[in-house]
Amino acid sequence: MEFTLLWAALTAIGFSWVGTRLWSDRLPDHPTDRIIGAAVGGLIVGRLVAMASQGINPLTHPLDILIVRGGVHTGAASVGAIVTYLWADKWRIADLDATAPAAVLGLAGWHAGCLWRGACLGTASGLPWTWAEPGSAVTRHPVEIYAAAGLIVAAWLVSRLPWRLLTRAGAALAVVGLVRLLTEPMRPSLTGGPVGWYVAAVAFGGLGMWLGPRLAGHRVTAPT
Amino acid sequence: MPSRDRPLGQLFTMLKRSLVLMLILVACGGTATPGPDDVGSRPDLPPTTAEEFEAHLGGIDRPAVVTVWASWCLPCRSEAPLLNQAYEQYGSQIEFIGVDVQDSQTNAKAFLAEFGLEFDHFFDRDREVVNFYAGIGTPVTFFFAPNGELFKTHNGILDERTLALNIDELLRLGS
Repeated sequence: MEFTLLWAALTAIGFSWVGTRLWSDRLPDHPTDRIIGAAVGGLIVGRLVAMASQGINPLTHPLDILIVRGGVHTGAASVGAIVTYLWADKWRIADLDATAPAAVLGLAGWHAGCLWRGACLGTASGLPWTWAEPGSAVTRHPVEIYAAAGLIVAAWLVSRLPWRLLTRAGAALAVVGLVRLLTEPMRPSLTGGPVGWYVAAVAFGGLGMWLGPRLAGHRVTAPT
Repeated sequence: MPSRDRPLGQLFTMLKRSLVLMLILVACGGTATPGPDDVGSRPDLPPTTAEEFEAHLGGIDRPAVVTVWASWCLPCRSEAPLLNQAYEQYGSQIEFIGVDVQDSQTNAKAFLAEFGLEFDHFFDRDREVVNFYAGIGTPVTFFFAPNGELFKTHNGILDERTLALNIDELLRLGS
């Protein structure tokens, strides 16, 4: 992992830690450990899937797994992170709600880490708050700062939601997908970005918000 | 209590099995390894010096992306698909050039056969070109203005954002 990327990761972990202090109601034991575990699990799964899609066999090139900068499949990483969290939490899905705002804040920190990496800028724009790359006269949208600001607001909104099964976790997934979806057109890209995955995040997050409380209600009233 | 947890428990078991299956499929994903014929039929990469390379760039009337790679370089494998994508998309507007450093011709040709970087490449065993333009390590990517003037150097592995943004800058310089 590159040093600059490591700084971004540490910023994300720091923001997540701040989130767990801000919204400490009904947190599970050691939430930061679980968030870090989920991040590592997500990175490994995302990297493996990215390697497979590039035609690189992890068994014949195992060291490539460590080169995180070489590409991480965003969608697979998200699924990997959630599954790792649930596994670490003995599948207590309700605890996802507890750390959801902190996780969103951590993602905001990851985006804000662009200030350390010198990687904030996106498409060209003449708006007054835009700035240029070193050595260039072309001013550009600070798209990663937009994303960080959007996610900070989103984290606060998620923390205000009622405590019901998957309500906060579903909302967190949906708003993260929405923020990425809204900022993606301003992000320099050769492929257009994994827009489908962001749409899926919004849809699955919404589904979780809708389905979770109903599942919980069913479980409470079901005959034992 | 157990009956209340059953539907979610089944869901999680299914998710666990899906993840394990996904990991197994990923681990089994084959890499297309080039055969001896693929490598043997390729011509040797033309050797170059810093002066020759500078003169070559000066004769190109459009912006250029120069990627410095080597067959032993792990990150070079990861960025190869990205360079291929950029070449497919912008090859008509921007010159893409590869410089293979500290390598053997056989290994270099095997690398190209495996990753299919179909633009022009030069062989620079002693890193003369990289040292001339003050690049550090491998991989390095140099971005050149149409007159062959160095616009930007990116040391280390390239990510999609950096490549796309600098291509955008080059196209604005060229227009």
